[in-house]
Amino acid sequence: MNNSMKAFLAAVAIGTMALSGCASTMQYGDAGSAKPISTEFGSSDLQQIAEAMVDSMITFPPMVELTSARRPVVSVDSVKNKSMQHIDTESITDSIRAKLIRSGKFRFIDRTTDDQTVEELKIQQDSGLVDKKSAVQFGQQLGAEFLLTSNFSEIRQKAGSTTDVYYKFTMSLKNLKTGILEWSDEKEIRKVFKRGTFGG
Amino acid sequence: MKQNRNLIISGIVAAALIASLGMAGCSTTAGVEATGKTSWDEQGARTLEKNVVFNSSGLKGDIQIVEVKSAMAGDIMRAQATLRSKDKDTLPFQYRFDWYDAAGLEINSGAGSWKPLILYGRETKTIQAVAPDPRAKEFKLKIREPD
Repeated sequence: MNNSMKAFLAAVAIGTMALSGCASTMQYGDAGSAKPISTEFGSSDLQQIAEAMVDSMITFPPMVELTSARRPVVSVDSVKNKSMQHIDTESITDSIRAKLIRSGKFRFIDRTTDDQTVEELKIQQDSGLVDKKSAVQFGQQLGAEFLLTSNFSEIRQKAGSTTDVYYKFTMSLKNLKTGILEWSDEKEIRKVFKRGTFGG
Repeated sequence: MKQNRNLIISGIVAAALIASLGMAGCSTTAGVEATGKTSWDEQGARTLEKNVVFNSSGLKGDIQIVEVKSAMAGDIMRAQATLRSKDKDTLPFQYRFDWYDAAGLEINSGAGSWKPLILYGRETKTIQAVAPDPRAKEFKLKIREPD
């Protein structure tokens, strides 16, 4: 290789680096982006699951009929996470609950804030600060008619440079009086990662 | 020496081309937009005004919107679009549905998320979505290449 050729290649290399930019960058991303970064459970997976469950539940014909005249009261059970990953599954059910409330079809009770509720009621009843006429009495909350239960599982396969992960989220709406599952559906997600020849 | 300088200049030009190719690979086009708006005819029957806009000639060559439909589940609007791949290879896309009320204001503005979509060669596939609440009377489907 002669000198002029070397100079040409060096110019290409330096120019490419300069123009494509090697510096680290920091910027806001789209919260609704569907770009997979790894086979781990990601934000887009959570959004896809929440949307699929809510869409299925509010358009299921018996549910449409049930919610046409009244808004049933529902309680959410914690997700049984059978995957290998530590996932904030409450965040999945929080998204589902928020979407269901916003659809105007269901009402929810939240057992996670019961301690604070009891404390507040005790103050209203016992502290002598609150007017008895406006103080909230114990034993007046509504009981849930339905329980929303869910399972999360994962099948991970690895062969050579390929990692294949399959996620399944199953959700059911149980009638607490009769024990009948009034609705159930599942969302499947598959993510495949192929390691390139040069790492990465 | 003059020849050397010419080579360096052409090297920089080549680098600019390579870099611009790299940048073009990262950019995402607005892609395809299909809207469906609820209206009522003289008899009071529900109809859907449809409109499909292609913002990317690349996507226009890859994908065709065969049909846009809508139906009601109780008082909640549902939407469906039938897509057909014009390519013989498997192509990845992303899509999202945005929803608007009767006044044309977006519901839960900016809260939607993109969903992955895989179209096998020459495949026809339907994608569906459900409105977030009963106010929705109009939807906009956006399809783009993966970011």
